[in-house]
Amino acid sequence: MKHVSAIVVRKRIVTVFLFGLIVLAIICIRLGYVQFIIGDRLMAQANELWTRDIVFEPERGLILDEDGEILAENVTAPSIVVVPRQIKEPEETASKLASVLDVSADKIYEQITKSRSSVNIRPEGIKISEEQELAIRTLNMDGVYLAKDSKRHYPYGNYLSHVLGFAGIDNQGLMGLELYYDKQLSGDKGSLSFYSDAKGRRLDDLADSYRAPKDGFNLKTTINSKVQTIMERELDLAVSKFNPDGAIAIAVNPKTGGVLGMSSRPNFNPENYQEVDAEVFDRNLPIWSSYEPGSTFKIITLAAALEENIVDLENDHYFDDGEIAVGGAHLHCWKRGGHGSQTYLEVVQNSCNPGFVNLGLNLGKEKLFSYIDKFGFGKKTGIDLQGEGSGILFKLDNVGPVELATTAFGQGVSVTPIQQVMAVAAAVNGGYLYEPHIAKEWIDAKTEQTVESVEPVLKERVISESTSKEIRYALESVVAQGTGRPAYVEGYRVGGKTGTAQKVGPDGRYMQNNHIVSFIGFAPADDPEIVVYVAIDNPKNTVQFGGTVAAPIVGSIIGDSLRAMDVEPRTDGLEKEYLWPEQPKVEVPDLIGHKKSEIAEMMINLSIEASGTGNYIIDQAPSPGSKLEEGAQVRIYLGDEKVQGTE
Amino acid sequence: MVFSSSYVWAEYKFGDAFFYLKRQILFGGVGVIAMFSIMVIPYSNWKRYSRVILLICFIMLILVLIPGVGLVRGGAQSWIGVGAFSIQPSEFMKLGLIIFLSSLLATSQKYITSLRKGFIPCLLLVFTAFGLIMLQPDLGTGLVLVLTCIVMIFVAGARLSHFFGLAALGVIGFVLLIASAPYRIKRITAFLDPWEDPLGDGFQIIQSLYAIGPGGLMGLGLGNSLQKYFYLPEPQTDFIFAILAEELGYIGGIFIIGLFLLLLWRGIKISLEAPDLFGRFLALGIVVMLTIQAMINISVVIGLIPVTGITLPFLSYGGSSLTLTLCSVGILLNISIHSKI
Repeated sequence: MKHVSAIVVRKRIVTVFLFGLIVLAIICIRLGYVQFIIGDRLMAQANELWTRDIVFEPERGLILDEDGEILAENVTAPSIVVVPRQIKEPEETASKLASVLDVSADKIYEQITKSRSSVNIRPEGIKISEEQELAIRTLNMDGVYLAKDSKRHYPYGNYLSHVLGFAGIDNQGLMGLELYYDKQLSGDKGSLSFYSDAKGRRLDDLADSYRAPKDGFNLKTTINSKVQTIMERELDLAVSKFNPDGAIAIAVNPKTGGVLGMSSRPNFNPENYQEVDAEVFDRNLPIWSSYEPGSTFKIITLAAALEENIVDLENDHYFDDGEIAVGGAHLHCWKRGGHGSQTYLEVVQNSCNPGFVNLGLNLGKEKLFSYIDKFGFGKKTGIDLQGEGSGILFKLDNVGPVELATTAFGQGVSVTPIQQVMAVAAAVNGGYLYEPHIAKEWIDAKTEQTVESVEPVLKERVISESTSKEIRYALESVVAQGTGRPAYVEGYRVGGKTGTAQKVGPDGRYMQNNHIVSFIGFAPADDPEIVVYVAIDNPKNTVQFGGTVAAPIVGSIIGDSLRAMDVEPRTDGLEKEYLWPEQPKVEVPDLIGHKKSEIAEMMINLSIEASGTGNYIIDQAPSPGSKLEEGAQVRIYLGDEKVQGTE
Repeated sequence: MVFSSSYVWAEYKFGDAFFYLKRQILFGGVGVIAMFSIMVIPYSNWKRYSRVILLICFIMLILVLIPGVGLVRGGAQSWIGVGAFSIQPSEFMKLGLIIFLSSLLATSQKYITSLRKGFIPCLLLVFTAFGLIMLQPDLGTGLVLVLTCIVMIFVAGARLSHFFGLAALGVIGFVLLIASAPYRIKRITAFLDPWEDPLGDGFQIIQSLYAIGPGGLMGLGLGNSLQKYFYLPEPQTDFIFAILAEELGYIGGIFIIGLFLLLLWRGIKISLEAPDLFGRFLALGIVVMLTIQAMINISVVIGLIPVTGITLPFLSYGGSSLTLTLCSVGILLNISIHSKI
């Protein structure tokens, strides 16, 4: 046996000490790593663990029209809150709730027996109806409470549905403006967060932190609810009259790009959006759909030709024999046999295809396509709504003479309605291409102060004022003397252009007897306040022609809207030219103060219906100066006393 | 005494309820009295009774395994006695074995270089005790016991080649141990990635790190721990260091580690200055036991090694543990007194 020396023992004791020192040093380093390097991350996670939040929902902002009329608001609708621990007989409670909410009792039983402090019955128990609320109150069940909640309400129903969109069960925006501006509308949730122990009990020593909910801002839009109402009415009429596959109407203020109204069919009620196919609420046709514009696109060709000074509307002539040969192809005019010799103003009035082909060829593809691009086609307009389409244009490299020629009269290109509206607005407003927008102002719901105003965004100046003036004149003459006569509105100088677009069928060929007929109009022609576009997809029981179907709708919308907007009537417009079977209107004479016996001498072509007795006419309807169709009825009221006439 | 400051920590308790505080003060008081009493007992007496002490310890270790006699707490049958006056035989075994091994190594040091006459018999004794403790099972205490004894055998002069052989065996043994109790595998995987199973096996480590992390440099302030509010299981025993690091920060943590370093240094010094070999081995064994236990405990708490279930000497709540710790300090102090003569 070798004796172990005392020195070895001492050395080994010191070794043990040094080893201990190293281990303790490692521990110190690791402690520092946990507390400094990953400390913040751990702190954040731990804080989440320690705090419990009671959430306070903010009020969702209203959506208003330009005058403050409410388009979307919140109404209280309570939600059911169940406290499982307080329910003594879950089966019974489940069956009672099931009968009120129209859900299976098993599903409710499963939810109300969860081991949680409180549960919601989703989605049936969220935002319940008044009847359900009353039933729940009457049943007075243990552990079943009604919590204050609110749901979105759209007072006008189907009106403006695609633009407004809708909000979901948690008041989250899902479509339309509700989605696009969800962040601003929804505001910020408030919370009361308190520290609690692991068993959920509140730790009183630690300060609670309360964050007040911040209500969403009210959105004031550029929508004019009067204009919108007129448009909805007109589309309803069109639907009942023509039973079309779809219908679109857009009204825009050409001076700002603000959308005054936008509607389409089919539409839906935002409060019950689940009742229609997702396809219906997903597709906001005025900005989503894209199709051949047809003749309305000729306005762009006209603008380019005028701006480039290649045509004089009054003095240059074009002879239309019914077709034009381009690159070996024969392009036909819509009028069999052609329009004969015309000035270019007449080419516009007649919507003569060969005439526009000639303009397009004279422009050349670079120039025409540069204008098409400048007017905003082929790209999204940037409207503040989701789901916008961008249309399809020929690639410049692929444009031969035929493509150039068809593009010139609106075939072979695919554009969205909103693109057309904005382009025409630019053509008639002096050449200013605006970005279309719907949001106008953001208003603080509490102080009612405007927090932010949305300024019109001018994208580009596309043509000069003088070119714009010529276009306005040409398009006014289209309505007064050309294909757009049904859009004529007495006193409001309507200008516009018809369009009859062919649809491409599933086989890639043009469909027969199935067109999108449209009309784009504006007024007053001397200083446009509104641009209105209406397109009716495949109208039935009528000639599928824009002038016949869409022009009268645009005329009604423009006339009623301008009156509703208090736009001063004009007197210096072009007189409407009448063609058989149309008849000029008869001005109603002032009859008040005249004797009954004098009527026969005075009037022609109006039928009189009298009420009351006496020799003198004391009142009349319509009032003097109104214009009526020949043979229309004028009602007079008779009395014994002669009253002073209005003259 | 230089390290009398260290036992003051034994008086100090982080428990939030008076229940623990009162009991801890009670045990602390008993422990301090025991410490001073033992301090005046010449340590040579321990050598004289070492065989008896070891025998009693072994009997208790066997008794605790008998159902009905031993009490099951926290998944281990480690307790003996009635209610509050129960004790942990394994705690006594640690001290008992250190005393006996010191005595054995002091009287038969010349055999330690021999594999058959010294090394293996010593290890057989140690692993018999370890085996009994593992039957409870109590891995933490067993680990401290084995490591302490190995350090003592190393210091006594055993050949390094023997240790390498032991290390090889140790690896095999470790694998077998893990295989014998599946919950230990889970503890190890939980240690490697506690976030993999945050509500299961990773729970304790995550909660412990949630306490330590926010502590930062200065801590949340004394009494301001949030993790002790039922988030961290057993905050007053095995995970007391986490709460300490949360409330007193890195500074507080380093201070405690520093105190253990001071304890180690003083213990080593006492060992080196001890008048005889028995005193030298005994002082070393006691201080190594306390230090290893502290190292393992803190390493667990800061996520350095897997959860083993072991208390922090002086600081953790626990009657047997605190009393025994203070008793062993009493012995250390007595050796210190003799070394100064």
